[in-house]
Amino acid sequence: MAKRGKPAHTGRRRSEFLWGWLFILPTVIGLIILNIIPIFQTVYQSFFKTGDFGKGNIFIGFENYTKVFGDAEIWQALINTFKYAIIEVPFSIILALVLAVLLNRKMKGRSVYRTVIFLPMVAAPAAVAMVWRWLFNSDFGLLNNIFHLNVKWISDPKIAVYSIAVIGVWSILGYNMVLFLSGLQEIPHDYYEAAELDGATGIKSFFHITVPLLSPTIFFVLVTRVIGSLQVFDLIYMVMDKSNPALEKTQSLVYLFYKYAFINKNMGYGATIVVVLLVITMIITALQMIGQKKWVFYN
Amino acid sequence: MKFKKVMALVLASAMVFSMAACGGGSGSSGGTNKEDSADSGKSGDGVELSVSIWDPNQEPGIKEILADFTEETGIKTKLTVVKWDEYWTMLEAGAQGGSLPDVFWMHSNESERYMSNDMLLDLTDKIAESDKIDPENYPEDIWGLYTYDDKYYAVPKDVDTIALWYNKKMFDEAGLAYPTSDWTWDDVSEAAKKLTKDDGSQYGLAVRNDNNQAGYYNLIYDNGGYIINEDKTKSGWDDPKTMEAMQTLEGWIKDGVMPSIETMSENGEDVLFQSGKVAMVLQGSWMVAAYRDNEYTAANCDLVELPKNAETGRRASVYNGLGWAASANGKHTEEAWKLLEYLGSKEAQQKQAELGVTMSAYKGTSDAWAKSADFNLQAYLNMMDDMEIRPYSKTTVTWENEDNEILKSVYMGEKTMEEACKAMADQMNEKLAEEGN
Repeated sequence: MAKRGKPAHTGRRRSEFLWGWLFILPTVIGLIILNIIPIFQTVYQSFFKTGDFGKGNIFIGFENYTKVFGDAEIWQALINTFKYAIIEVPFSIILALVLAVLLNRKMKGRSVYRTVIFLPMVAAPAAVAMVWRWLFNSDFGLLNNIFHLNVKWISDPKIAVYSIAVIGVWSILGYNMVLFLSGLQEIPHDYYEAAELDGATGIKSFFHITVPLLSPTIFFVLVTRVIGSLQVFDLIYMVMDKSNPALEKTQSLVYLFYKYAFINKNMGYGATIVVVLLVITMIITALQMIGQKKWVFYN
Repeated sequence: MKFKKVMALVLASAMVFSMAACGGGSGSSGGTNKEDSADSGKSGDGVELSVSIWDPNQEPGIKEILADFTEETGIKTKLTVVKWDEYWTMLEAGAQGGSLPDVFWMHSNESERYMSNDMLLDLTDKIAESDKIDPENYPEDIWGLYTYDDKYYAVPKDVDTIALWYNKKMFDEAGLAYPTSDWTWDDVSEAAKKLTKDDGSQYGLAVRNDNNQAGYYNLIYDNGGYIINEDKTKSGWDDPKTMEAMQTLEGWIKDGVMPSIETMSENGEDVLFQSGKVAMVLQGSWMVAAYRDNEYTAANCDLVELPKNAETGRRASVYNGLGWAASANGKHTEEAWKLLEYLGSKEAQQKQAELGVTMSAYKGTSDAWAKSADFNLQAYLNMMDDMEIRPYSKTTVTWENEDNEILKSVYMGEKTMEEACKAMADQMNEKLAEEGN
């Protein structure tokens, strides 16, 4: 309620301000309760040796942190997580971009292709993992039987993490593609027509028109995918059995978090692992924010 | 606008697909999170007890017993099956958030944590007053698992023993006589060698790195070794007798009579046995229902008592028993106790045995169980002559998982068994020392 006597536009501005907040309030409340508060609780917990069922916590300062930094398992998990991200992020972006460009043209069965490619995104991760676990099975799996191979896709420590990354690429491809499609449709056709008149080939206009004008979308996808891939958990948890010899070379930081927090019931140590992950994620994201000035074009 | 069309199509297909995915899962016995309410009989007083268990193989039988309870008392129940790994995460969250199920299974791996933190309903006085439950009628060790400070916190549900399963067809093909109760572990090693084919299509035996209770723990106790001492302060992994027993397992690994750890981890012992890849497995009595319902194992396989140790002549079975526990902070503790009392009663325990759900904890009900499937189930009962309770302490899960991880390196050829045993003893002693604080 704006005060009377003030100039009209101030009143309107205030009411816009109020309405604006009102509209985002549900999201803000959700974020605060479900994300922001737990973040602080997690950081707080990481300084404690937590007792059973959240009772009897003992403050131990940085002890959890010194243990995390001295734990070879954690460092290995960090390497595993990076290996996963290095496959998942670029491949899912490049493939999705190519697919989006191809499916942005007029062609028969376009919506069918788009739907098929998007489908993995809507399947439950557990179901996806079960299907791939069977495809990759070294004794009874489809892959080995069709191509007469004897590759231990998910139990050879050298390749298991990449096999998991392939599943990751496959499941996220459709989502990235839809984002790129929406970006592509905002690029005016005039550019392409002009380029064609000037004799540019399809490939040339892809690199000189599509990529630069799509760069804000690419940047958005890149940032979200890097964050997402650093948090990989469900695929590994579902595909890798606890007795799998490749587990040590595939488990991610979040997997270790789950193991310590929920299986070994050491909440404090689990919390410390995710705080470390949070810091790493923030640093990488900040670097990307700085780097974007070099290659992202906003018109 | 095109984008909107795409999205609409995508969302529509999303709904279709997710519904299809849901429909597909619930038919099989392996589904998680299945819910079903048994609502028959008299009109109850509106109370519905939530009941949680983790074994889908036992679900049909338990449901029948719960239906009987509803008929008798009018109290409704709602059974939820959550698989082992997620079960404990769920229970932990429930305990912390004050929303435990009314009635649920308890396991020796976890019972002490729950009892010492007052999460479970104290049943001591109720059992003393009950005319259905007399502690005398159940194995003493199982009460021990669910007793803390001389108070009872759960009613024994079942008891399990271990036996040797074998594939008759493979023994016939190899021209070997079936295993008998006179076998020693050396006989198993010999037979396993003969049953292993060079092309990798068939192996003699499968014992995974995490098959402790049904697997290598038995070897250890047969040989006079141990895993944890009486007052739960010291590991027995570096005991010479324990290490000697584990040499047998190392021999199986080195001789190649077992599938590789890669294969065993991707498929599991039971799946390999059910698909005719291995000739022998060591399995607990809780697996009977699964093998009975599998066509291949029902037709081709049978079981016999575990082998003996050649020197000591001992044939021990490492056993365990689940307990039915109730939430201390539940809304319907009176009704929950009624259900516990019913589940522990001779009637319900007898029915559990007859249905072949598991062997029952109530003494004298096991003969009914022996008739529940067309196998030599008497072998499991005979194994009750010499039983050792499954090693446990307050943080069993933590050291047991670590043991499994260390043992895995022996399967992978990275460590010798002797090194692994020492490493397991070290980590276990460390964790037991921490427990004391």
